[in-house]
This record gives sequence, C-alpha cells and structure tokens, in this order.
Amino acid sequence: MSTDEQAPPGTPQATRGIFDPQLLSACISCGFCLPACPTYRLTLDERSSPRGRITLMRALEEGRLDEDDPTLQEQAAFCLGCRACETVCPAGVQYGRLLEQWRDHQWRGRHVPPLALGLRAGMRITPAFTVGGRLRGAARPTGAPSPLAPDGVRAHLMLGCAERVLYPQVSRAVLQLLPGVVDVPSGQGCCGAMHAHNGGSGAAHAMAEELGRRLPGLILTTAGGCGGHLAQVLGRDRVRELSEFLLEYWGEHPERIPPLRRLSRDGRALRVGLQDSCHLRNGLGVTAQPRELVARVAEYVELPSAGSCCGSAGTYSLLRPEDSQRVLDTHLDEIEAADLDHVVVVNPVCQRQLIGGLRRRRSRVTVLHLAELLALALRERAATDE
Amino acid sequence: MTAAGPGTVPATLDAGVLDELRALVGAEHVLTSDGDVEPFSRDATPLFRARPDAVVLPSTTEQVSAILTLATRRGIPVTPRGAGSNLAAATVPEHGGIVLVLTRMNAVLEVSGAELLAVVQAGATTAALADAAAAQGLLYAPDPGSRTVSTVAGNVAMCAGGLRGLKYGVTRNYVLGLEAVLPTGEVLRTGGRLWKDVAGYDLTRLLTGSEGTLAVITEVTVALLPLPASTGTGVAYFEHLADAGRAVARIIADGALPATLEFLDRRCINAVEDFAHLGLDREAGALLLFGDDGAPDVVATSLERMAGACTRLGARGVTLARDVAESDALLAARRCSLPALARLAPITMLEDVTVPRPKLAEMVDEIDRIAGRHDVVCATFGHAGDGNLHPTIVFDPADGDVRRRAEAAFDEVFRTAMRLGGTITGEHGVGAAKRPWLAARLGEDQLALLRRIKTAFDPAGILNPGKLGS
Repeated sequence: MSTDEQAPPGTPQATRGIFDPQLLSACISCGFCLPACPTYRLTLDERSSPRGRITLMRALEEGRLDEDDPTLQEQAAFCLGCRACETVCPAGVQYGRLLEQWRDHQWRGRHVPPLALGLRAGMRITPAFTVGGRLRGAARPTGAPSPLAPDGVRAHLMLGCAERVLYPQVSRAVLQLLPGVVDVPSGQGCCGAMHAHNGGSGAAHAMAEELGRRLPGLILTTAGGCGGHLAQVLGRDRVRELSEFLLEYWGEHPERIPPLRRLSRDGRALRVGLQDSCHLRNGLGVTAQPRELVARVAEYVELPSAGSCCGSAGTYSLLRPEDSQRVLDTHLDEIEAADLDHVVVVNPVCQRQLIGGLRRRRSRVTVLHLAELLALALRERAATDE
Repeated sequence: MTAAGPGTVPATLDAGVLDELRALVGAEHVLTSDGDVEPFSRDATPLFRARPDAVVLPSTTEQVSAILTLATRRGIPVTPRGAGSNLAAATVPEHGGIVLVLTRMNAVLEVSGAELLAVVQAGATTAALADAAAAQGLLYAPDPGSRTVSTVAGNVAMCAGGLRGLKYGVTRNYVLGLEAVLPTGEVLRTGGRLWKDVAGYDLTRLLTGSEGTLAVITEVTVALLPLPASTGTGVAYFEHLADAGRAVARIIADGALPATLEFLDRRCINAVEDFAHLGLDREAGALLLFGDDGAPDVVATSLERMAGACTRLGARGVTLARDVAESDALLAARRCSLPALARLAPITMLEDVTVPRPKLAEMVDEIDRIAGRHDVVCATFGHAGDGNLHPTIVFDPADGDVRRRAEAAFDEVFRTAMRLGGTITGEHGVGAAKRPWLAARLGEDQLALLRRIKTAFDPAGILNPGKLGS
C-alpha cells in the first residue's frame, strides 16, 4: 500500500542505539501534543513541537541525520523539558524519558553547553551547599535519619541543593507546619534532577540513589522538579511533595492540623495565584493539592497559564535566557492583570524565575513558596492584618 | 521520493531559486538543511515519509502567489501543509520540492453574528475558529477529532468530517467562500458571504476536498449557526459492535437525527480507558456514544428516546452524562480513540471506509471476518451515525509479514465496502494512502475528468504532484 521507498518509521533496521526503541515507536505523529507545547505555541513551527522533535529523534536514531546536525542540537536545547505533551498524549509517549536520552547523546563530550557542564560539576560538591545552607539559615540537619514511625517522624525532609541556599525560609516553614513529623538528616547531596535534564542521566541516577540512601523511607520535598526525578529513579511511593504530604497527613490526623487563619489585607482576603511546577504536574500528577491548600488561607485565583511552564525549566533560564523570558512574559502579563497579592510556587527554580521577572517589571505582587504562605497563616497575629 | 538523495538539492531548487524564496518571505522562513526539513517529511499517516528539498512559511497571500508563480515557472513541486494532522499522507511531499506551510497565517479575521459567518486565515486552528464563534454565542459545527491541532484550510482541503456529521454534515456544508491561489499565481475569491449564489460553477465545492492539488487556500469564509442552548450525551454498552450498529439503524429509522452517534469496540474502549480513566465498561463488546443538542427539553426527550432504543435492542447498560463536564469528557475520549490505540503496538494503520447506514452492522461483521482471515489485530471505532468506520490494524513491524497481511486485509475491506455501496474514504481523504483504490471507486471516466480538471487548474503539474488527478 505504501509507495515509500525508504524503510518506514518503526521498521527494524540498523539503528544507532541512542533511544529505547519501544519509547521511540510509541508516537504516531497525531499532533495532539502541539497545542500543549510552549515552544510550539511561541513559534508555530513543527520543528519546535514534541511531534517534530520525535521525528528528529527518529531520524537521528535511524541514521538519516548526521549526529551533529545543527537542528538536532538546537531543538534538543530549545525544548523546555516541561513534559506538558505527556499529559495530553493518548498514546502514552514518555517524552521526558526520550528527551533525557536525546540530551545524553546530543550533549556528549565537547557538545555540552559549558554552563551546563559547570552546573553539573558544581551541584556535586555537597559540602559547598551544606555550608551555604547553614550560613543562610535553612533548616538545620540533625545527624542520622530518625527511624520512621506512624505516630512519630513520618518522612525525611529533603533540603535541596540550590533551594537551601536561595530560599532557606522554605525548609524552616516546613518544620513549623509539621513539628515532630519530619526530620532533616545530614549529608544530603543534590538529587541529580539537574543532571538528568542536562545530558547526564547516568550521574543523575546515581545521585538520586545516593540521596535515597541518605533519606531512607519516605522523602518529603518542596521542589516539584526534584520530586519528579526522585520518583522516576526511586519509585513514586518513596516521594511526597509538600502539598500532597500535608493533605495526606492532615487527612489522617485532623487533630494535628494547626490553626490556619485566613490571610487578609485592609479587610479583604488576599488574592493568591499559583504557578504549577511542570514535573510536579506532568510527572507526578499533583495539581489539585496546592490549589486546595492555598484556598484554605486565601482567595485562590486560577491564572490562565498556571499549568504551563514559566520558562525556568531547571537550568533553562540560565542556558537560554531569551527564550526563557519569552515563555515567562505571558505569565507575568497574566499575574499583573489578575490583581494578585501573591503568586505561590511549589518549586525553587520557578520561584527564582517569577521573583526575577516581577522585580524587573516593578510589580507589587510578591512570590511565596507554598510552605511560606501556609506558615504566614500559622502565625498568631490575629489582631493585625498580614 | 525525488531522485535527489539527502543533502543534495535538485536542479530545480538551485541557489538562485532559494535566494528568490528568501527574498520573498525572509531567510528565516525558508528551511533547507536536512534537519530543518526532516520534521516536514511526514504527517499523521504511518508508513509514508519523503523529505522535501525546502520548507517555506509565508505570511501573506501575496507571498503565496509569488512562491507559486516561481514554482510554476521553474517546475518545482509544491505540497501545501497546515498542521500535518491528516491521515491519508496527503501532505507527504513524494516528489520533493517545496512544502508550503500555512501555520503563520493563523488570524481569525472576523466573526459576524449578524451574518452568521466567520472569516479566518488558512492556518487558524479549527478550535480557534470554534472558540471565537462560541464567544459570540455561535457554533462552528464541523468537529473533526483533531480540532485542537488541525487548521481550517486543512479541514477544507481534506473536507474533514467529525463527531457531529449526522445532524450537521461535514466541512463542505459550511464553506461559503474561499480565497485561493492558483499554481500560476492568480488569486481567486470563490463564493463569498452569501448563502445563495449560483453564479458559475461551484468552485468553492470543487476546492473543498481537493487535497491541495488544485490551488492553495489562503482564507476561508464559513457559515455559523446559533449555539444550541444545551447539549447532552449518553453511553450504551453492547455485547457486540454489530449490536451497536443495529441500534444506530433503529434510532435513525425511528426518525431521530441526533448530533452524535459514535461507537467503539472492546479494544478501543480499553485503550481509551487506559488514557482517560472515565470508568468505561471494559468488559463490554461495544460502546455507543449518543448525544444531541438544542433546547433542554428537546435534548432530554431525544436522549431518552435513544436510551430506550438501545435498551430494547439488548444494551447491557445505558447511562446518561450528568453534566457538561462529563459530556465533554466522553466526547474528548472518543476523539482520542486513534492515538490511544497506539498503546497496543508500534504501528497503527487506520482506515476510513463508509457504507450506507443500513449496511453498518453487516460491514462490521465483515471486518471481523476479514481480520480473522488475515490473522491481524483490528480495532474498530467510528461515526456510526454516518456509516463511517475506522477499522484500525495495530501491529509490530518486527512480526514477520504482518504488514503485508494488514495491507491485504484492508484491500479486502475496501472492496467489501464498495460492494455494499460504500466508499474507500469517508472523511480522511485519498492522499497517497488510498490512491491505489481510487480508480475502483470512481471508474475510468471520472478519473479521466479529474485529470482534465487538474490540468485546467495546474498546467505545470506542480501542486501536490502524484495525488488526486495526477
């Protein structure tokens, strides 16, 4: 029936062995992913769509394109890796896994962007961010992990590498919200998510396993991106992001829900929006929980693009600052138009991205991590507004 | 495929031509490197692929005209492309040359409540048109499964169908006028904003479904309807797909003309459920999705009547969607049937035969027998109300001669459909995929006329060569 003289896609033939063949053959090119893709929406260009990128991956795998083809290099780097395409894909294509395999190959040897190389190396120096976290006042590690018990410590809090230095108040807030329920073991390194997304998935796997040994049992994370990576390596049952943990735990122990007041200013409830974390939403499927928690303490406002990548995308904002800004602009416009008091984030790189963007626009909207917002509602200052 | 191998440019696309193209649309909108053109070498049709020599992305009708004039002068094949979601390999550039992508021309130019029409540029998506219409309380009725992706001009070029065909018809019933560019560069405006207009041959209809072989559509004027006050959807489960087919025949014979009558067999139900998690009955042999729209009491009566007919014909369960969200979820699930089937095997080969409605159950049984005879796994879903079936053979190409068996099975499916008074394609088009059966469907005289029409529009034979009328 076909007049195609070349071997059709999917036909067994000499391949380069870069991709898992089953993952690569899952896509049928229906294009349902196109409207979900932030880079396709920006460009309306097939090359910059998930379907187009998979066509490129196949051409690479099957030897129809040179390994160093500039379009391969460019598109592997231009992709945000947000995995929004996965949630709308009826065929169940695991695009995130394919992208990791693609970047492993594309960014091999001399092809790694120098900045990514530097970050990959830097994030492996655990003592540096251990000291940094201490100086900045992140939650203080307390030695060996405590044994987990149903009525005692339920999870080990992961401090994150960048997060403990950039936003030390987040881990402190978690301890305020969950006194006696989580502990903070010492010696925590980086989970390797950054490496997985930057062409170093071998190291990324080892780092997640090492962190898994340092934090045995359930790991509580305040970083959606790290949670997504850890779940992929260690298994979903080992990982809880803060919002899902809080609702699970408070659901089991209603008597331990701390008094949370409604946050208000000038006699009206605070208006608070949310920016989803892509890997929390698209990887772990956590969407309702952070919204429910925000709504408990403030007037929740759904931003139209809340579920779409803000452009931080791990190290993307550092590697491709201009593209990152183009993606971010839509979000900033919506935040400014929504008359918000705060935007809540559930991932530190999103926090950095939105803080920077809103500062540049001199916006009066402030960015808070979900843990910070809830801790704010915890404080007994009933007499005064926030 | 062209004679040119990867990396080489045929004589017709020499540096001079590329310079002219770059001068016309800007250098960044002319793609020529292997990697840049590779993503445009296929559409949503499996097993077809051919790399173009260049991809050009114009932003105005004038640019399209200039590109086509140049292509005719130099004899360069041009294959127009929207979002590349078509299922007949109609946008695969089998002869190389230029793929002309119209996605940059994506404005919704006008929605007129007073005139009940909308005007859009070629590359606007179907969903963008429908949303713009809905914002003014109006309905763009054609509803192809790929609506969030597909472009309006692509829908027109392929005469796309969809989930509302029974009551509302298909794309051709809504196209009032077109702006289209002939391969020789002239810009035509066919039809217009009028419901009544019989001046001349109906070129609007001729271009609708012409699969990019006669002219490049750059702007579309479509008819809109008032948005129905309410919609409702229900689901009935049967032991066999043919039972669902008989229920459809009964519903229509009873004088109902509902908006939606869709069915899925057991394999489809399970594939869709794996993705959508709607709580569908995985044990059922068939699912019939029925729906209607209109005034709330009319919809309620219509749904009751259809539910009753299904029950009388032995449905093992009938449920009605409780609200709009549930209704939308069911329709969305039906739209994703094809890609969901891709979960079963690497290759998903889909067909589009259509038979007269009373023959639906017979055709379903025939497909079953044919699949069994050729030892292939076939899942069937489709627009039952239109007699339009999508038998889909899933296979792993590593599995011996399965591809040959699949092709033999489909050959038999096509011939059976035609024997029952049906056609080889209801809504996906002929493209390259169904070309081998076109003569059997049309006969030599019609095929010869198609060729003469093609020559009248495209004397140099540059537009989508090798497809319809070539």
